Amino acid sequence: MAGCEHLWEMTNVRFGFIVFERCAHCASVRTYFSSQDTWDQYREGACTWGITENVQSLMFDLQCTRCGRLESFSELMGLLACTECMQECEVVRLQEELRADRTWIVVAFGHLPEAKTRPIPEQKLAILSDHFNQRRDTARSKVKVVSMHLIKDISVCTGEFVHDVGMLSLEPVVARKYLL
Amino acid sequence: MTTQELIEKAGLIALSRFEPREVNGVFVSDMLSDVMAGAKSGNLWVTVQTHKSIVPAANLVDVSAVIITSGKKVPQETVDLASKHGIAILSTDLPAFELIGKLYGLGVATK
Repeated sequence: MAGCEHLWEMTNVRFGFIVFERCAHCASVRTYFSSQDTWDQYREGACTWGITENVQSLMFDLQCTRCGRLESFSELMGLLACTECMQECEVVRLQEELRADRTWIVVAFGHLPEAKTRPIPEQKLAILSDHFNQRRDTARSKVKVVSMHLIKDISVCTGEFVHDVGMLSLEPVVARKYLL
Repeated sequence: MTTQELIEKAGLIALSRFEPREVNGVFVSDMLSDVMAGAKSGNLWVTVQTHKSIVPAANLVDVSAVIITSGKKVPQETVDLASKHGIAILSTDLPAFELIGKLYGLGVATK
């Protein structure tokens, strides 16, 4: 609804798995959401896909509680917190710039490979930012959700995804696997 | 009740550096996805998870503190990351059930 100051709430929350697949031949990577913990290997055309990682996560939409407008986030693969691993990265530069304002940068990843060429629109990133800021006292701190395309090199980025993976208490802590 | 008052009354140990703030309810989960969907600003997040990814999750939903139960050892990496973001990581030897009972007795209830 035009003129509505949207108040966004999570809806259609579905818990499941983000599946990371890699082709054994061309090393292409793709991700998708699944309600099941799957470890299938299969051929599709020239590719032989195998699962490299299965992480528990959630899918959700955001809905305005005032006007009912619904925004789907089915293309959202995950949110990543910057660990400042590459000083020449735009995300790190932005985090440095906004640190004094107590604004924390979170990077929104779309599902691969689609997100490489069709990033999550800025308008949707703004809605995500609004949602998380509406859940907090912004006088204390704020969140800004930015696009994964700001990352200098995703293949070596070691940011932490907010995913349920690698958290078994008896496992030694290891660095996240590279995404690509 | 503030985080400082809670530490004293519940016998918690502060592991990270943070600014005191008001506590507003409790959220219990060991799943980051669960916290992202359901935790509210100001909640105490009670968990046995100690991986550093609890810090961005806590930051995202603006919990007032993360309480690690059952005496689980928190890696220094997690503590350092939490201090950097001003997230309170607190520790107790109590198992979650007993801690929550204590929190309930102190009047820290979900609003």
